Amino acid sequence: MSTSLRLSREASLVTPGSWQLLPLRFHRLDARSILLTNLVGEHVFLPEDTFLAVVAGTCGDQSILAELRSKHFIQLPGERLPAELLAIKLRTRLRRLPDSTGLHMFVVTLRCEHTCRYCQVSRQASAKTEYDMSIETASRALALAFRSPSPHLKIEFQGGEPLLNFPLVRWIVTQAKQLNQEHGKQLAFVIATNLALLDGEILDFCREEDIYFSTSLDGPEDLHNTNRRRPGQDSWQKTVAGIKLVQERLGSDHVSALMTTTEASLQRPAEIIDTYAELGLRHVFLRPISPYGFALRRRSGAGYDVERWLAFYEAGLDYIIDLNRRGVPMVETYTSIVAKKMFTNNDPGYVDLSSPAGIGLGALVYNYDGDVYASDEGRMLAEMQDQTFRLGNVQDSSYADIMLSEQLLRPLEESLTLSAPMCNTCAFEPYCGADPVYHHATAGDFVGHKAMSNFCKRNMGVFTTMLTRARDDKFTRDLFWRWSQ
Amino acid sequence: MPADETQTQVSFDRATIDLDALQRAVYAVADIMSVDIAAEGDRFMCTLYSREREADLGALAHRLRTEAIDQTLRLRLAKETGPLRNLIFALAFSKTGLTEDEPQ
Repeated sequence: MSTSLRLSREASLVTPGSWQLLPLRFHRLDARSILLTNLVGEHVFLPEDTFLAVVAGTCGDQSILAELRSKHFIQLPGERLPAELLAIKLRTRLRRLPDSTGLHMFVVTLRCEHTCRYCQVSRQASAKTEYDMSIETASRALALAFRSPSPHLKIEFQGGEPLLNFPLVRWIVTQAKQLNQEHGKQLAFVIATNLALLDGEILDFCREEDIYFSTSLDGPEDLHNTNRRRPGQDSWQKTVAGIKLVQERLGSDHVSALMTTTEASLQRPAEIIDTYAELGLRHVFLRPISPYGFALRRRSGAGYDVERWLAFYEAGLDYIIDLNRRGVPMVETYTSIVAKKMFTNNDPGYVDLSSPAGIGLGALVYNYDGDVYASDEGRMLAEMQDQTFRLGNVQDSSYADIMLSEQLLRPLEESLTLSAPMCNTCAFEPYCGADPVYHHATAGDFVGHKAMSNFCKRNMGVFTTMLTRARDDKFTRDLFWRWSQ
Repeated sequence: MPADETQTQVSFDRATIDLDALQRAVYAVADIMSVDIAAEGDRFMCTLYSREREADLGALAHRLRTEAIDQTLRLRLAKETGPLRNLIFALAFSKTGLTEDEPQ
């Protein structure tokens, strides 16, 4: 070893008892490790005795102390840089806050030709045009959307089945682009559709206007068609044909799919993922059924608990990791969102994993009748006569009325994870978020009791699964890191 | 069902555990038990009521004791690192334009 290298190593030695702890939280991950996280989600795993020695100031293991210093868990007396770096990282993670709201969902119709088992909304028969959004309502909603300070606006068309009111989709896209000549925002459009009604004219328009498609694909034909019913029992065939058409005409990146887990899905994670892989889809979202609206009905397929969903998620994630190991690229979407929060300071601003909560700040929903909701789940609750998250109506509410409404500010303030009981000391807090709509729907208040919250149980299960797999396997750690970039 | 099949008692020395830490521990285990806390002399007497009809009362007591120790440590860490935490937040939110009275 050269003299200069030895001297520099000696200079960086940390004397026991000399360090100062920086803000940290801990969690007993398993028998092997205590997980430590700091304010910005950097993390280390330590055996319990080492952790206690670090806290007591008696640890003498220089490699561990060096890791703790480099990840801002400890600092030496007189040091200022760690606090300043943590502040910069914290500010980076929260940089989206002043730039609300990026996602604007337009429910252009409640009509739908599907009768899915788990549908959360009150779909209407295909002929009932009174459930279509009018041009006047769409125009006012667009004006509100452009009032958002966000430099990026994503307009997502929802339903019902939005292709049943495609003339309005076409009008909104054209109008938004015209308005944007003045605003200069980065505009994107997504149609959330079952693709059954896709035709050449729609495809031509979407190619011309660079519109993306998001569809539902529950897995193999029999599973999908059991969940997603339509006349002719051919939902899977229509969706698959639609996916292939979009891939062919607009490019494979222009269509993505997500699945909803029903009881019938739980034993079939590999088949579901294989269906995606065979179609050339590189992302699969192993999504639990929603606890809102009509999805709670007994026949919806929601008859499983968090533990069973977690077992499904773990089996699915392991299968995906294995596919990647064999050279087949596949991403689990939720894991990749969490990975961004776990391994970078580039918080993706995912609505369900944000604090302050993503409602209103991350997304606004304009219903067909002009009612404005803080989230799509808030709209679903309204379908069950719960108007808690209705923020106003485009006809008579200004942007200030909506964004400063008590219906939005109260849940945001009450559910902050930095102050919510148990969240404020939880080691997973930097990866998690506040979900006041979920807790209102399931516990009757915006915070819920975290020891009994299934939101908490599910997310802690996901975080634990990810962290233990990343700790134990370099390939998985590198894979999660790649997903986070 | 006899009451003693679903409840047990654990006591803590008031000199070694803070009531705040104990209450936080009780909150954190609320999914499996509810706990009644009474201050008696120099001890906190806790009566643990299982939410399950057939519970391992020894495991419940162990869980509460572990949680109480963890919460005590969490409080200590929060107290020790609180000033730095506030400093970091102050640094993070300075000059962001997020407050109206902040000089630009």
